[in-house]
Amino acid sequence: MTAATSAPARPRAPRAAGVVPLSAWRLLRVELRRNAMPWILPLIAALFWFDSYRPSIQTEPLYVIRTFWNLGQGGTIIDFGPFVAAVAAWMGSRDGRRRLADLVTATPRPRWTAQLATWAATAIWAVAAYLVFVGVMFAMYAHQGVGGAPPWWWVAVGVTGVIAFSAAGFAVGVFWPSRFAAPVAAFGSALILLMSSRTGFTHTSGWAMILPTNSNGNFQNDSGISYPWLPDLPIARIMFLAGIAAAVLGVTGLPARAGGPGLRRAAAVIAVAGLALAGTATGLASSARLTAHGMAIPGLHDAASDAPIAYTPVCGHAAGVPVCLNPAYGRWLPAITGALAPELAEVAGLPGAPARATQVATGYTGGPVAPPGPPVATGAAGPPQALTLTGQPAVLRLSLGMLNMPGPCGFCDGPVNGTQFAGQVRLMFAHAFVGAGSAPGSPAQRAVQAALLRGAGIPFAAQPLVMGHTDNFPGAPRSKSATGPIYAAARRFAALPATARHAWLAAHLAALRAGQLTLKDLP
Amino acid sequence: MTAAGLHRPAPGSPPGSGPALPAATLRLRAAAGWRLTRLYLVSRRVPMALALLAGLGVLLWAALRWRWNVAGGAAARQFIPLTIETGAAALIAVTTYGPFGEPERAAGRWLPVLRLGAAVALTAIAFGLLSAGAAAAHIADGGAAAGVLPGGTFALLRNLAGMTGLGLLSAVALGGAFGWVGPMAYLVVTEAALAHGSVTPWVWPTRPPFDRGAAVCAGLVIAAGLVLITVRGPREPGGDPGPA
Repeated sequence: MTAATSAPARPRAPRAAGVVPLSAWRLLRVELRRNAMPWILPLIAALFWFDSYRPSIQTEPLYVIRTFWNLGQGGTIIDFGPFVAAVAAWMGSRDGRRRLADLVTATPRPRWTAQLATWAATAIWAVAAYLVFVGVMFAMYAHQGVGGAPPWWWVAVGVTGVIAFSAAGFAVGVFWPSRFAAPVAAFGSALILLMSSRTGFTHTSGWAMILPTNSNGNFQNDSGISYPWLPDLPIARIMFLAGIAAAVLGVTGLPARAGGPGLRRAAAVIAVAGLALAGTATGLASSARLTAHGMAIPGLHDAASDAPIAYTPVCGHAAGVPVCLNPAYGRWLPAITGALAPELAEVAGLPGAPARATQVATGYTGGPVAPPGPPVATGAAGPPQALTLTGQPAVLRLSLGMLNMPGPCGFCDGPVNGTQFAGQVRLMFAHAFVGAGSAPGSPAQRAVQAALLRGAGIPFAAQPLVMGHTDNFPGAPRSKSATGPIYAAARRFAALPATARHAWLAAHLAALRAGQLTLKDLP
Repeated sequence: MTAAGLHRPAPGSPPGSGPALPAATLRLRAAAGWRLTRLYLVSRRVPMALALLAGLGVLLWAALRWRWNVAGGAAARQFIPLTIETGAAALIAVTTYGPFGEPERAAGRWLPVLRLGAAVALTAIAFGLLSAGAAAAHIADGGAAAGVLPGGTFALLRNLAGMTGLGLLSAVALGGAFGWVGPMAYLVVTEAALAHGSVTPWVWPTRPPFDRGAAVCAGLVIAAGLVLITVRGPREPGGDPGPA
């Protein structure tokens, strides 16, 4: 027996309060300093600028449209995810690659908690970078005067997505400490995101709503402008992504070398809880239904989210008629009043002519991959129209969210110029004024519509082109030439003196709107 | 130990000027060359890379066979095959990492040849495996057009070669273990270009298969990658024992 073994055991000194958190904080600080993530951030920043920011500024300056690709379709997650997963895999495989696993296992701190510190440092860098990049992007948007409210809930989804990819990549590195762990994690993440897009683009309901790149029913006008962004689906996605992160991190704590039985049991509980959370979120997303303001999930929906956003309208005048818009659309007020003025002047004083024009909220529509802009036809009634006349005295209701506004347009063949926009507005006003609604209209209605357009400065020959360029216009002609009995009647009507046209319309407008007139009834 | 047993020509003597080597020596040299090659490939984890490349071939077959297409037209149909080609290029680039560093560079005069040979051979094998996957999908689909690789075999060769070149360049600039960065970044750029209709030849996957400009750009990149990886080798960060 030696002196060492015969010596009485020294009583263990009580652990000073705060030592563990302090050492954990020190460990985290060391991991933050020694992390590989900062080295990849300049590349992610360049890709973020190229893929998420640059295309967005070629769209209308409204948050809902600017962020359609980068947050709605998950562009920012695509920019971050593969690289974050790869670097996390690199960090997760560090001890294994350096043959330090046994050494680290022998340290007082359980291996799993040390690994969690490494992961936390990686995730902190990635999340901080995501927030900074998105913050700078939003600051640029604000500087450019982008209208509406930023989709903060979708930023939170992006943050959780970055955390989930970092956790998944880290787990790959922990279980496969190989040089190939990082490229495989990057490739796997890119493939998962592509498969998410593949499924998400074609699924407008059901479980696929949980996928982080599924924009269906999320990003249409006028979210953040006339009514708030609904938080239901973002909350479900946050739950899903957080659940995945918890599950994979929990799994890394299951092996025997991860720590003591208590810690491994805790890891198992976390893994199971994560899976349960992800499953619950998928179930909730399956119950999502499309409302006028976006996807609502009954289990998560708060009625307060349906309240419209209060605003002080910006107003102008078109031929003496007040025109009021949401301030987010304020920059287009001159274009709207300029487009409406000729026709409002033409119909001024007629019974049924609008006493004022006001913007109304554009509701959500279904259909696959519905970007902002004109809605798709959803039934036999024809597509909803952007300009409608209702009430007595008549009010011209402008659902501008259905239109591609003048200027840059990310969802068109090119920028929308002022003449093109004015032509479309005039066409839709004339269509609404003759009472055609969502249908092409009777021949008499179409003839008067053509004559009104002619009076507003659109020649007959140009009208088929304007109709062809107006999305979802119900009366788009098959022929590109302004010929036939309708145009013959329109030419006859347009040839009358303005006072005669005015008098005829004053006498026959009600019958015309009721569809009771034929071409022969036109003077 | 003495130098008596070494049959090495005197320094400065012209090659072939000595006596003809006996067959046994030639056999020994061949065996040593084979052993050197084998050790090099094992140290670069080439067997694992081959297994992963074979897996990518199977994945491409599955993607084409079951039409894992992203909705959105012809450009969108390229996304998944392109991602698989990117994965192959990333794997090839990562095999350039050498665990021995300075000692290997000082003693291994065949190292440049081995680097070049491994990169070329792996690219050729990757092309063969991916082509086989695409062909198998086409055959399994009864020759239907839907099971065809977008752009065909030539586009596959061009895209894979160009992205492998980017991977090799990344390995030269960032280190072999980070050779995957170039192809993955290029994938994101390509997807953005495909989505927004950009057609510069430097983003060669956006161009038709037989587009000369795209082929030249991809060819220049793989040539630059091969030259630099041969001459300079991958960057070796100091103090990091690196990956296994």
